[in-house]
Amino acid sequence: MNPITPIINGLRITLEHLFKKPVTLQYPAERPKVAQRFRGLHALNVSHDKAKCVACYLCPTVCPAKCITVEAGEDANHDKYAARYEIDLLRCIFCGYCVEACPVDAVKMTGEFELANYHRSDFVYDKERLLEKK
Amino acid sequence: MVNLTIDDKQVTAPKNSTIYDAARINGIKIPILCHDKKLKPFGACRMCLVEVEQMRGRQVPACTTPITEGMIIRTSTPDIIKARKMVLELLLLNHPIDCPVCDKGGDCDLQNLTYEYKVNANRFSDEKFHHAIDYSNPLIERDMNRCVLCGKCARICDEIVSFGALTFISRGIETKIGCEFEGSLNCEFCGSCVSVCPVGSLLARPFKFKARFWALTNQKSVCGYCGTGCNLTLGVKDNKVLTTVYDENQGFHNGQLCCRGRFGYQFINSDKRLTTPLVRKNGTLTEASWDEALELVAARLKGAGSSAAALATPRLTNEELVLFKRLMETAGSANYDHSAGYAHAALTEGFAKSFGAAASPATILDIQKSDLLLVIKTDSYETHPVIGFEINMAVKNKGVKLNILSDKRGKLSKLPDAQTLVHTPGSEVAVINALAKTILDDKLAAGTAAAIPGYADLEKALAGFTPEAVAGQSGLSSDAIKRLARDYAAAEKALILFPIGNAYPGHNADLASAVANLALLTGKLGTEGSGVLCMAEKNNSQGAVDMGFYATRGLNAGQIMDGCASGAVKTLFVAGENPVVSYPNRAAISAALDKVEFLVVSDLFMTETAAMADVVLPACSFAEKEGTFTSVDRRVQHIKPAIGKIGQSRTDFEIFGQLIAKLGGQAPATPATVFGEIAASTPGYAGMSYASLGETGAFAQVAVTAAFVVPRTVAVEPAAGKLALVTGSALYHNGTQSQFGEGPMYVCPEGYVELSRTDAARLKIQENDLLNVASAIGSTKLKARITPRMPEGVLFSPYHFGAAGVNQVWGGAPVTWVTVTK
Ligand code: SF4
Ligand code: SF4
Ligand code: SF4
Ligand code: SF4
Ligand code: SF4
Ligand code: FES
Repeated sequence: MNPITPIINGLRITLEHLFKKPVTLQYPAERPKVAQRFRGLHALNVSHDKAKCVACYLCPTVCPAKCITVEAGEDANHDKYAARYEIDLLRCIFCGYCVEACPVDAVKMTGEFELANYHRSDFVYDKERLLEKK
Repeated sequence: MVNLTIDDKQVTAPKNSTIYDAARINGIKIPILCHDKKLKPFGACRMCLVEVEQMRGRQVPACTTPITEGMIIRTSTPDIIKARKMVLELLLLNHPIDCPVCDKGGDCDLQNLTYEYKVNANRFSDEKFHHAIDYSNPLIERDMNRCVLCGKCARICDEIVSFGALTFISRGIETKIGCEFEGSLNCEFCGSCVSVCPVGSLLARPFKFKARFWALTNQKSVCGYCGTGCNLTLGVKDNKVLTTVYDENQGFHNGQLCCRGRFGYQFINSDKRLTTPLVRKNGTLTEASWDEALELVAARLKGAGSSAAALATPRLTNEELVLFKRLMETAGSANYDHSAGYAHAALTEGFAKSFGAAASPATILDIQKSDLLLVIKTDSYETHPVIGFEINMAVKNKGVKLNILSDKRGKLSKLPDAQTLVHTPGSEVAVINALAKTILDDKLAAGTAAAIPGYADLEKALAGFTPEAVAGQSGLSSDAIKRLARDYAAAEKALILFPIGNAYPGHNADLASAVANLALLTGKLGTEGSGVLCMAEKNNSQGAVDMGFYATRGLNAGQIMDGCASGAVKTLFVAGENPVVSYPNRAAISAALDKVEFLVVSDLFMTETAAMADVVLPACSFAEKEGTFTSVDRRVQHIKPAIGKIGQSRTDFEIFGQLIAKLGGQAPATPATVFGEIAASTPGYAGMSYASLGETGAFAQVAVTAAFVVPRTVAVEPAAGKLALVTGSALYHNGTQSQFGEGPMYVCPEGYVELSRTDAARLKIQENDLLNVASAIGSTKLKARITPRMPEGVLFSPYHFGAAGVNQVWGGAPVTWVTVTK
């Protein structure tokens, strides 16, 4: 092959790209659209103004990272509810088993991926922080 | 043995087995739902269907069908599996599928079977039940919507507990389990029904929603309340004892527990537990370091000699008691005693003289093997409930005769054909003497009796105790006394049981001797199903006696208290005991403890006694330590820690060891070392080691050298216009510690005084009236309980409650004469 051809080819590609839309995302000004099944930050689904979670302890049981803490409480109607629901995101491996295990569809994983923080304690998401914001 | 074929396997099984038993013995699993090995066969659920060739291949329930020679059985043909699936489908028809919120999830027989038999859909449909759920009591929740009508709860409550709180009500499709008049549960709350319920119909509320079954770590232990020595499994999570887990294969009692054992565990993780040492500074107890506190104590004990004294609770382990004794000896003092030693004088003085051994020459296992049981002094059901279950099963299942000699009736008196002789308080020794006299007069004594030392003296001493003479004094008829004596003598095997404890004072040693005389006279000793079982109060009372933790050379508990008051005792070390509440005559005890120069208390809680101390040391509960306990029948059992120590608390073993070291002595490193020493030096414990105790423990041998001892009797003179107050145990409590267990406190939260209907009517007293009960030494206010079990003129009050102050009235006499006003 002519030794010049590859150089010309290369310059052509560069030239083409000069006139194309860039592929990089101008984050944070531009934000990506994550896939439907992306496994980001958890959220607790709400039903009738309450967390749907019935504190069945299945998600902490299946969680391979052992990062979920559930404590059940008894409400005024003697029903079970999650008095405490906490995920330590520093340990979470985002496997989604918790979502799979939940018998009442109470926990889901959102597209939220911006999870950086300054303090370790900020990675512990308690029930308030996990409750699905409407 | 019967030969049969199960699933093409040639097997044998004992005759009287059911097909289910035969299969189980041979390792073949047949699913069950309504069957329980402790209960009589019932056959309600049909889960255990099997095919029997001889019955033309018909499907029969394995749990109720007895085996016959040559039976050919198949347990899992496709037809059987189909049938079992259908049984489950039918059960699930009405059963709510609320496993995520049901506490039984993970430990539910129905859930497990549904999974095992892959019942993923239901061909039938019906409405679910809408029964109201019973939340009315804090211990047991009843959700009859989940009930599979196996009847286990009703059967255990009837067959073993003998309370009969639950039963099937309504019929057909309406059938459900209910209480009388469909009311709420109001029973003795032993939790037996909860333990056997295969589904989530009956739940322990203290554990409600706390954790899933699979998240618990199970640690086997021994109940820390009474001397029965029940085995128990603690369910632990996050260093907290969350529940007691039922294990039907545990202990002689097959996992049965009483209210205290099952629901009284909360004291272990109570937030009232002491967590740091406290030292009195400027009059107030302030937090201190262990070093500071122990230095102070060691400085006081160093060379203290007889000015130091020690009192221990018999809840300490054997090893701790040995070490405590060694600590006192290092300090130069021989003044130590446990639980107001008089409470155990029956063993240490009575049995020691009569049998030459301070232990009972019979075991709890003898109860079911006997022909006749004689329960003396009080209803042993209240003091040792699980022994009560054994008695109940012996009477109901084995037809064992039951005679009770007591100053009041109790639950045992309600058992079928139970004969109760209610004598006037304080006359029990005289009555037992009269029994012995009758045996002698009627020539019912065994041939061996005359050769036992002291026979002639006894014969002479009993001359005055004719049934006629004693009848007048005891309020019994002479015929009744004679009949009892003859029954006892005639029975081939007869066992005498009598409970002792802090609140059963008076004439313990004499009572023990009197009882021993009966057994010796009739030769009912040393054979299976016969003998005498003295039931000491606390979980390690027998151990304390065996370890010699009572006054032999020094002062006993009473004398120590006197010494404190007179100034002879300057330093008092109280380990786990709460004399202010549990010893007689509170005013005197408080004054003595006020007087003593230096009071050290090691305890789990800030008790009334600890509050008076100069140094308070936080100690560990049984769930946090290692060691051995000895039950009333000398079963030595090993416990291991179930949880880590709470706060800065230390075991008494560590506390005593560190003090010994500070006093310049040599402290053994581990409880195992001390147990080795015990095994080497304590009669009956020879050759024992932690390993040899295993999970079931081992019996320490009792070598009996018999002698007749003439018991002293004190005539209790009735006081005109006054009522006789007897003290004792309430079924739900044991010592003062159960006050920190939420379960027992829900059922029985405060002291009370029981009186008969006649007395109540005469004094115009209504249930729950606040009564002023006054004796010669003091008075207190107690709520009235009117019960049919009390004889006229007799009051009963449990002693456990600090606030009730029964020991302000009661001074340690067997009978306290009181006046009662509103
Ligand atoms: S995603 Fe996986 S690791 Fe994270 S909480 Fe759920 S189960 Fe645990
Ligand atoms: S599995 Fe679902 S219902 Fe159960 S505890 Fe987790 S979030 Fe709650
Ligand atoms: S708790 Fe005991 S007494 Fe009460 S219903 Fe259950 S088994 Fe019977
Ligand atoms: S409540 Fe439980 S133990 Fe009682 S019958 Fe129903 S399922 Fe059986
Ligand atoms: S208190 Fe006594 S009878 Fe009750 S469970 Fe404990 S050891 Fe057994
Ligand atoms: S277990 Fe046999 S019928 Fe229920």
